[in-house]
Amino acid sequence: MEFLDLLMLGFGEALNPTNLAFCLLGALLGTLIGVLPGIGPTATIAVLLPITFYLPPLAGIIMLSGIYYGAQYGGSTTAILVNLPGEASSVVTAIDGYKMAQNGKAGSALAVAALGSFFAGTVATFGIAIAGPTLSSFALSFGPAEYVALMLFGLLAATVLARGSVLKAIGMILFGLALGMVGIDAASGEERLTFSAIELFDGIDFVVIAIGVFGFTEIIENLENVEARGVLVRKLSRLWPTREDFRKAWPAVLRGTGVGTFLGILPGGGATLAAFCAYSLEKKVAKDPREFGNGAVQGVAGPEAANNAGAQSSFIPLLTLGIPSNNMMAMMLSAFIIHGITPGPTVLQTQPQIFWGLVASMWVGNLMLVVINLPLIGVWVKLLTVPYRLLYPAILLFCCVGVYSINNRIFDVVLAAGFGLLGYLFRKAKCEPGPLLLGFVLGPLLETNIRRALVISQGSPSVFVERPISLVLLIATAAMLVLMVLPSFRKTREEAFQEEEA
Amino acid sequence: MKNLIRNTALATTMLLGIGAAHAEWPSDRPIEMIVAFAPGGGTDVMNRTLAPYIEKELGGKITILNRPGASGEIAYTALTQAKPDGYTLSSLNTPGYLTMQMDRKVRFDPKKLCLVARIVEDPGSFIVQANSPYNSLKDLVAFAKANPGKVTVGTTGLGTDEHLALLQLEKAAGVDLTPVTFNGANEARTALLGGHVTAIGINVGEFQSGDRSAFKSLGQFADQRSVIAQDLPTAKEQGFDVIMSSERGIAMGCDVPEAIRTKYSDAVKKALDNPEFQEKAKQQSLPLSYRSSEDWNKELPARAERLGEVWKLVKEQK
Amino acid sequence: MAGPRKAGGTGDRPDLLTAALFVGLGAVGLWAGRDLTMGTAAAMGPGYLPRIVCWLLILVGLTVGGMGLFRAREDITIPNLRPLAVILLSVVGFAFTAEYFGFVAASVWLLLIGSLADRESRWREVILLTAGLTAFGALVFIVGLGVQLPIWPF
Repeated sequence: MEFLDLLMLGFGEALNPTNLAFCLLGALLGTLIGVLPGIGPTATIAVLLPITFYLPPLAGIIMLSGIYYGAQYGGSTTAILVNLPGEASSVVTAIDGYKMAQNGKAGSALAVAALGSFFAGTVATFGIAIAGPTLSSFALSFGPAEYVALMLFGLLAATVLARGSVLKAIGMILFGLALGMVGIDAASGEERLTFSAIELFDGIDFVVIAIGVFGFTEIIENLENVEARGVLVRKLSRLWPTREDFRKAWPAVLRGTGVGTFLGILPGGGATLAAFCAYSLEKKVAKDPREFGNGAVQGVAGPEAANNAGAQSSFIPLLTLGIPSNNMMAMMLSAFIIHGITPGPTVLQTQPQIFWGLVASMWVGNLMLVVINLPLIGVWVKLLTVPYRLLYPAILLFCCVGVYSINNRIFDVVLAAGFGLLGYLFRKAKCEPGPLLLGFVLGPLLETNIRRALVISQGSPSVFVERPISLVLLIATAAMLVLMVLPSFRKTREEAFQEEEA
Repeated sequence: MKNLIRNTALATTMLLGIGAAHAEWPSDRPIEMIVAFAPGGGTDVMNRTLAPYIEKELGGKITILNRPGASGEIAYTALTQAKPDGYTLSSLNTPGYLTMQMDRKVRFDPKKLCLVARIVEDPGSFIVQANSPYNSLKDLVAFAKANPGKVTVGTTGLGTDEHLALLQLEKAAGVDLTPVTFNGANEARTALLGGHVTAIGINVGEFQSGDRSAFKSLGQFADQRSVIAQDLPTAKEQGFDVIMSSERGIAMGCDVPEAIRTKYSDAVKKALDNPEFQEKAKQQSLPLSYRSSEDWNKELPARAERLGEVWKLVKEQK
Repeated sequence: MAGPRKAGGTGDRPDLLTAALFVGLGAVGLWAGRDLTMGTAAAMGPGYLPRIVCWLLILVGLTVGGMGLFRAREDITIPNLRPLAVILLSVVGFAFTAEYFGFVAASVWLLLIGSLADRESRWREVILLTAGLTAFGALVFIVGLGVQLPIWPF
């Protein structure tokens, strides 16, 4: 019963009018910046951090978290509508979500994303409440060797993201890995692949590549194919998912929630992996995997649920151990510290109202987001009926400002234009950018952890198979590789035969 | 270059009466404070917390501009390129500022950068899990002596202050420690909690601002015990000659009239003395340690020399 | 692009372009990282993995290209250089204008030049749109969300 008491305490805190108001404000702001491509929650929270000095601690933190998960909700909107993912996790949503929009099912995709996210948010919130401390101690058992195995698994899963040839997908992952290595190598202090540009010392920012290869390339491509964009407007029909959509999406949401909650706990990259893993899982269990990449509703539902569940559960290490699992959480940590609160086991004991109030507010915030977002779908879908010649300058402006705001420098904007050109060439070569981005995100994690694991084991590679979690993950990776390679070889052979006949 | 029209206007004022232009500083437009690190980091939060109190003393407005990258080199370069009119400042952190000059040719002229005020000096330290068998640096060294290479210590990269402290300890105690690189203190802390490394290097202030219940500190690498860690013995007290601390302060272009630099330095001093700010600093575990521009400028060469000695150890490792 | 063979109906052009891109990018990577130390598998230097990755990329490129040579002929959709050039020019121009002349000038440049990419653009619309979006951007991004960019050149 103690649990219920604590939860009641939390809701008592979350529902007090001040906290409620700031929760709403955060959720609204989050939706706004999520929808505006490029402007990310990290930058926004940074700007708002000083303002929270003047708020009561809990209200300030509730607002900032609202911005964070609100942005997760909003981020999928642009991914679906204009194929512009603002962060790693919505890269996946863009694949099938944008196709659905092109098929005239934008409303359906947006509704599935919102409802799936809400469900996942609810489950993950209660997950934090019930099992937070237990889960976080599991996350700690992930050492360098386990991360290496997990990243390999994730990279392999990335090849599933592409519709076309597996070989091209592997090439794109490799290129992504190389891009991820740009910058100063912490272990040796040497600069790598920077071409002596000081702006590249800290590596390339994810948003720069995403805006380049997705945002700019998409605009150029759309302007090139005058016929293609007419389709978008003409076939717009439904605002709400069909019964069939619901039937397909429901189990995907469940699976995505599980994957997301679990991976979100892992510090350093877990939450990013969530959406990718959920997508490959859906593609594996689907009766007809060919639907994926052509507007499969499961391809939106699973990753969106995973993404949101992961966003919620990434709070677990911060709240229970005092350790932020990503940049966003590091910002949250400074927000706590500014108010003289140091999250961690001590706070859990001495100031339970902070932990439980925040957890309860997350659920309240998620509810608000659904209420805000569902009616907005009508507006978003209308937006698609705006002629493209009026729409694309706006997207262009948002992209440019977004890229600039990452580090406040024009270098990034010019670099993004370069990636736009590269993305255009890749389109012409029929190479898809999804795997590139995943390789880019996971590459540095893979490399640092390989090197770390080998330093700790003093150079003995047996460390990867001696540790049980790592061994299990490696076996799973190998099994998946076999499963993938067999049918894909068969498929290319079939294709080759068909071509010969034709 | 950047603010063509603004500068022309300023130049005109200067021509009309140099004295008048000085007298007006800094009330006619906001002062731009370049922070060399991303928003939300320690340096950023410190400067954002302090800025309103400096504003109060100066009677001008301060806007914060984050120019993160290359451990501050981007910000320092921007500062040396700015008009020397006293309207641009930058954060300045050691040892990063000093070590970057040892390692490679930097893109700015360090002679053009003048220190204005030091705000914080945060000594380094090694921490271990709370239930670890080691209670002091001596314990750790004793184990490392018996088991060369077995002790793994998390750092945030080659040449960072934790790594330099590790090298000094190796030399002072004649042991072999294994540095493991992490991307930032938080990642290192996670690995320590999970028992994947024996100890990690972390600054005292940084350590104290987080939840400490699962860790204990083995000693601080300060000359004298830091104001925020009066109970923690220094390495010197334990018999090891290890001194490593990071400083955070403010810099301006040297071409800025000295009167302005001193005025700013004094304003920082007054802001640091404000009890309201001290309360905030305590909450954030900021080890405040003011130095005027004059004093800091005097101290820095000695610090650079000592770092240079340690840096030779890095070179040997490569 | 690698020169496709003229032999009859073979040669998958997108695959050949892929090969050229992968091999080219891999080679650039190898060149940029030519001075990095390799190290050993147990103590990897900074150049170890970059080199492996770049060679693998080249290898994949060659395989894709080799297979593409013998595939049935497929052409690349004809590129239309106008949108490509105009969009890239407008973005790069935005960057430099923003640095020296502030947000308003940069936004106007971006939207006016960017609108040239589409032949359907009508001047009255473009001007209204530019004015509206610039005002919106200045208010929302710079005043509202605090993007650190001056609005005016002074």
